[in-house]
Parts: sequence; C-alpha cells; structure tokens
Amino acid sequence: MADDKDVLRDVWYGRIPTCFTLNQDEVTEREAEPYYLLLPRVSYLTLVTDKVKKHFLKVMKAEDVEEMWFEYEGTPLKWHYPIGVLFDLHASNTILPWSITVHFKNFPDRDLLHCPSNSVIEAHFMSSIKEADALKHKSQVVNDMQKKDHKQLWMGLQNDKFDQFWAMNRKLMEYPTEEGGFRYIPFRIYQTMSDRPFIQKLFRPVSPEGSAHTLGDLLKEMYPAAIPNEGEQKRYQVVIHGIEPLLETPLQWLSEHLSHPDNFLHICVIPTPTD
Amino acid sequence: MSCDLSVTPAQTAAWRKQIFEQLSERTKREMDNFRHYEQSVWVKKGTM
Repeated sequence: MADDKDVLRDVWYGRIPTCFTLNQDEVTEREAEPYYLLLPRVSYLTLVTDKVKKHFLKVMKAEDVEEMWFEYEGTPLKWHYPIGVLFDLHASNTILPWSITVHFKNFPDRDLLHCPSNSVIEAHFMSSIKEADALKHKSQVVNDMQKKDHKQLWMGLQNDKFDQFWAMNRKLMEYPTEEGGFRYIPFRIYQTMSDRPFIQKLFRPVSPEGSAHTLGDLLKEMYPAAIPNEGEQKRYQVVIHGIEPLLETPLQWLSEHLSHPDNFLHICVIPTPTD
Repeated sequence: MSCDLSVTPAQTAAWRKQIFEQLSERTKREMDNFRHYEQSVWVKKGTM
C-alpha cells in the first residue's frame, strides 16, 4: 500500500480542469476565445489566474475593465475559499471541465471580498494558519516561528513548492504523543443550502475516555443530517478534496493529511445526486 | 490523560485503502484526460 506521505503529495498536486469563458455582457473589440487551465485545488482563484486575465484583456479596452471576478452558474466564487472547496461545493458531480464565467464589471460587493493584490491573499492565508495553530497548539508553534518561516509557508504555496512548504508545515502538524493529537481540530463544514458560510466549533481529536474521534463523530455532533440512519438512503455526500473518506476515518489523521495548506480541514456536505 | 487509540488493523486498512483508491480515481477523473491544459501561472516574485 502507498505511504501516508503520498497522500500529502496527492492533496498538494490535485488539479481541476477549468474552462474560463468571458461573460457575454462584457464589451469586447473581437470575440473572446475560452481559456483552459488546470487549477490547483489547494490554491486560490485570484492567485493563479494571471494568464486568464491577460488572455481576456487582449480583446478589451482598458476603460471597460474593472476588478476581475468569477462566477459559476450564477454563484459568485469566493476567492478566499480554496479552489478545491469551491469546486466540491458548487460543481461536484458535473461534467468536466469546470466552466467558470469571467467578469470585469459589476463586482458583487455583497458576496465577494475585493482582492487588489497578492498581499491580500497572503494576509488571508497567514491569518488562517494562525487561527488553526491557535486551535491546535494555543499559537505556540506559529509564534515560535520567525518571519522568514512564515514567508516560507506562503512562498511554498504561491510558487507550488511542495518540499519548501512541508519543510515548515510539518512543525504545525506535531503534537505530544501522550495526548494523541492536537488540542482542537481546525475544521470548517460547508453546505450549499445555507446562509451560514460554514460550521466551525471546538472539537477535540480524542474523546474524554481516550478513544480517537472519527469523521463520523464530528458530523454526528455538527451536522447529524449528513449521516444516514440505518436502512435509509444516503442524502448527502461528505467530500474532502474531491473524495468521500469513510466515516470511520480518525479525525486527527484527516487533519494531518487532508488539511489544506491553511491548516484547516475543509469538509463539503452536498446533496447526493438523484440521477 | 491516558489514551486508548487502538483500532483493529483491519479497520485502519479499510479507511486508508478507501482514501488511497479514491485519490487515485480522482487523479484519473480530473487530470488524466486534461494534461494538455495549460498549468496555471506560478508567480515567481518576492524573496525569502
């Protein structure tokens, strides 16, 4: 069987084939061809779409161009969620490539954060890592790191350098053996049919009796409807990085191996397709 | 706190196998037919 390290690589190198099409209401000087990219699941839309922007700007006048934003089937895509989460949440079970519409006007301020530069993405990413470490180690690991160590995490993500990133990130994944895991598991549970952006509460990897909590234990407490009753048809898929781990999977292992680079375990609960 | 984290090897094998198999299927589904697509841009700027 493959090694657990291979899981980290598979997670890092996950790519979603995507077709970018210019919104038909945009003013262009000639027809805009679609643009095809393999998007890294663990990155952020605005961090990896410079080429998309350049491609469409070639057919547009500068005065018609405002901040670029993305939409899928009427839903504005939040750049501050990892790309893989956006895909799993909104487009799982659809035909590939993922079809994203590109806009350069009418920025939806109510739905999206502005992203004027990569430093905004960096600040968001580092803030997530710090929040995760507050949950895992009372911020002790991230506070012991130097500025250059923080930069190494960010540059590893920005430049797609797995080894560079993990040389530092492994420190954020350590815990005392006798405790059996982190203090709390940094997780977020996303659902499509809710005004609430996600569920995030305190949850320990080990029960007071000392047994390892599983993905099923977490869902039972946070989102019981996601677990089918005996004999009942499955109503929801629980998706992490495009796969459905068994509910028996230990949460601590998931946190160490299937967390995003921001150190959160992002879990999407989506309705099971009916066809 | 003393921890009893023991699970049977068969249980561990089942969830691990499921994850490895599904990741492999995901690669086939999401990447194998699309390798001709352009990789997204990696912005090599800034210093360590």
